[in-house]
Amino acid sequence: MNIETFKYDNRIVRAFAIATVVWGIVGMLVGLLAAVQLFFPDANLNLQFITFGRIRPLHTNAVIFAFVGNGMFMGIYYSLQRLCKARMFSDWLSWFNFWGWQSVIVAAAVTLPLGLTTSKEYAELEWPIKIAITIVWVAFAVNFFGTLVKRREKHMYVAIWFYIATVITVAVLHITNSMTMPAGWFKSYSMYAGVQDALVQWWYGHNAVAFFLTTPYLGLMYYFLPKAANRPIFSYRLSIIHFWALVFLYIWAGPHHLLYSALPDWAQSLGMVFSLMLIAPSWGGMLNGLLTLRGAWDKVRQDPVLKFMVVAVTAYGMATLEGPLLSIKTVNSLSHYTDWTIAHVHVGAMGWNGFLTFSMLYYLFPRLYRTTLWSTKLANCHFWIGLLGMMFYVIPIYVAGVTEGLMWKQFNHDGFLQYPNFLETIVQVVPMFRLRAIGGTLYLLGTFLMAYNLYRTAKAGKFEPDTEAQAAALEKTVVAPGKSAFHRLLEGKPLFFTVLATVAVLVGGLVEIVPMFLIQQNVPTIASVHPYTPLEVLGRDIYIREGCLGCHSQMIRPFRSETERYGEYSKAGEFVYDHPFLWGSERKGPDLAREGGKYPDAWHYNHMDDPRATSPGSIMPRYSWLLTQQLEVDTLPSHLIALRRIGVPYPAGYENGPAQKDLQAQAQKIVANLKLGSVNTDPDREIIALIAYLQRLGTDIKSAPVTTAAK
Amino acid sequence: MIYNLVHSILHEVENINVFGLFSFILFFGFFIGVLVWAVALKPNHLEQMGGLPLDGGEKITNEKNPSSKL
Repeated sequence: MNIETFKYDNRIVRAFAIATVVWGIVGMLVGLLAAVQLFFPDANLNLQFITFGRIRPLHTNAVIFAFVGNGMFMGIYYSLQRLCKARMFSDWLSWFNFWGWQSVIVAAAVTLPLGLTTSKEYAELEWPIKIAITIVWVAFAVNFFGTLVKRREKHMYVAIWFYIATVITVAVLHITNSMTMPAGWFKSYSMYAGVQDALVQWWYGHNAVAFFLTTPYLGLMYYFLPKAANRPIFSYRLSIIHFWALVFLYIWAGPHHLLYSALPDWAQSLGMVFSLMLIAPSWGGMLNGLLTLRGAWDKVRQDPVLKFMVVAVTAYGMATLEGPLLSIKTVNSLSHYTDWTIAHVHVGAMGWNGFLTFSMLYYLFPRLYRTTLWSTKLANCHFWIGLLGMMFYVIPIYVAGVTEGLMWKQFNHDGFLQYPNFLETIVQVVPMFRLRAIGGTLYLLGTFLMAYNLYRTAKAGKFEPDTEAQAAALEKTVVAPGKSAFHRLLEGKPLFFTVLATVAVLVGGLVEIVPMFLIQQNVPTIASVHPYTPLEVLGRDIYIREGCLGCHSQMIRPFRSETERYGEYSKAGEFVYDHPFLWGSERKGPDLAREGGKYPDAWHYNHMDDPRATSPGSIMPRYSWLLTQQLEVDTLPSHLIALRRIGVPYPAGYENGPAQKDLQAQAQKIVANLKLGSVNTDPDREIIALIAYLQRLGTDIKSAPVTTAAK
Repeated sequence: MIYNLVHSILHEVENINVFGLFSFILFFGFFIGVLVWAVALKPNHLEQMGGLPLDGGEKITNEKNPSSKL
């Protein structure tokens, strides 16, 4: 047997580890700032760049892609080398991956506060950055599969399967959901419109959670948990079932984000049923993790690494039980648009991803620096503060979510809404928002303690850039026929395995999405629905830039409690020119789907200037800059051309002159209306365009509710 | 050509709800297949696979923290 000596690359692991800690703190700080603004709107210091609508996506992107993303790379670069008994395929690609990923994060941190966003949740970054992400991901994939090819261990451990599913599926999701038509260097419109855009977005959004926050971390759990407990996983057989059932099922469940929306009923039911079935593999995985510690619970008491892992795996189990329950249509009718969803995702983010990342960091630093952890006591302190912080975060937000849902649906004895003013319901839960901020602060404090502990650990030890290892060279072996032959063949053939995993992942997505695009009966056309006017297009762009959909939905569900409050329920055909769709997923303010004509233009003007002047107690931030900033009309032609290219029927040449004339005429009309309300302003201000857009919302149906038969 | 074929087939589907049933049957069959396959695997192979993370091939153990293998 030919024994080879080689070295594992620890430098890249350390780089990703440091980035994980730094971006984790940044992401949580931004989250805290956003949380404070929900009970103290002036915390934005009247600066548009740090206002809730813009920093909410910054927080989600920072936590998902910067904190968890770097944590994922850290864990994969460490474990893959050891599981393959090989150094990474290319050091150059490793560092390209690292610096490329950090550059994308910096680009996000700059562009999102500037309001450069596509508005699609967890995919907000504009097209040049999306291309950069694709290049970096491809580099990672080449490095990853290259390492598999040069491995010295014949069999691929289950963790590697989860990594393979991640690498492939994230690429598919990112490319499919990023299909946009550029209208400038930092502006684009989604190729898809309305219902189709919503379906693709939540197919992506759901599976971003599945294949960016879950599958790679499950792989890491299957590696680091046995390592930390120094015992093999409870049942390798269960891990096989866990993997295949999970990757096959997860992709189908996306439509559960769109229950009771204008999405066709069959797609909603499919999403619900498959979400419920997801409990089985998810809990299989959780039990497999927890049962690995059977007979080793004494270690859990002493070792902070295991403590964090136990909570992480438990949080995974809780979140994956709650998720399917929230997918049941009746439960969802109460929970959707409320803070319940926010609590749910934070159990996953803080508990599962956060705590597993912390455990990996505590595991890795002493090993990378060849020393022991500087202070186990401080790590235990972090554990308890973090756990307390998580509880203080999620419990008040669960209370807030249920309260909101019940108040929105409450009727009095006379059959009228008990709380017809939306503001009443949000004021009720503001104390919960305060408690949530305390929880977030505690969690962040714990992270600071960890950063200090890791820093002192690094100072006390000596970094080992390369770890020497030995293994026999991989020899070609013939698999003897037998009951396990196929699986052994599969575990030894990365390409074959990857193809099968890809097929499993894609089948669900195709069955779900293809009919949606091909059968027109799913989106009935409405004769009275017309494209937005040029001024409305620019107003819509401002609505997207300010992240209004972070708090306002545009989707009235077919419940009496909603139609009483907001008007006629939303129809799929109303959104055929909505590139992108702006249904939103959260209501911190009322739904705006039928906002058009509800209030005079002057009300909107005053409301944007100071929401509390028109709606006392409102938690909406002031948007006073819209009143002074000049509307950028030079970009209008490129925007209209881009929209025409993706199917919006603006006449050829419309953008060259007629569009500007129409824009001016509509703006003058709004200025005249404002004058009637004692407001004097110029027609070239941003607020004029936004008012035009808001006054248009939902009016197509109001003016002529004629539905034509499907083509 | 494949696109046109799929397009025409889907256009002739009278009731789109068949997709729900089709999906369920597809997954159920797949799940049963995986279950049977996993149950049929040999115990010694599973034991070998489960032990993979514990053998990283490193030469040196951590002197200051010998209980934690690298």
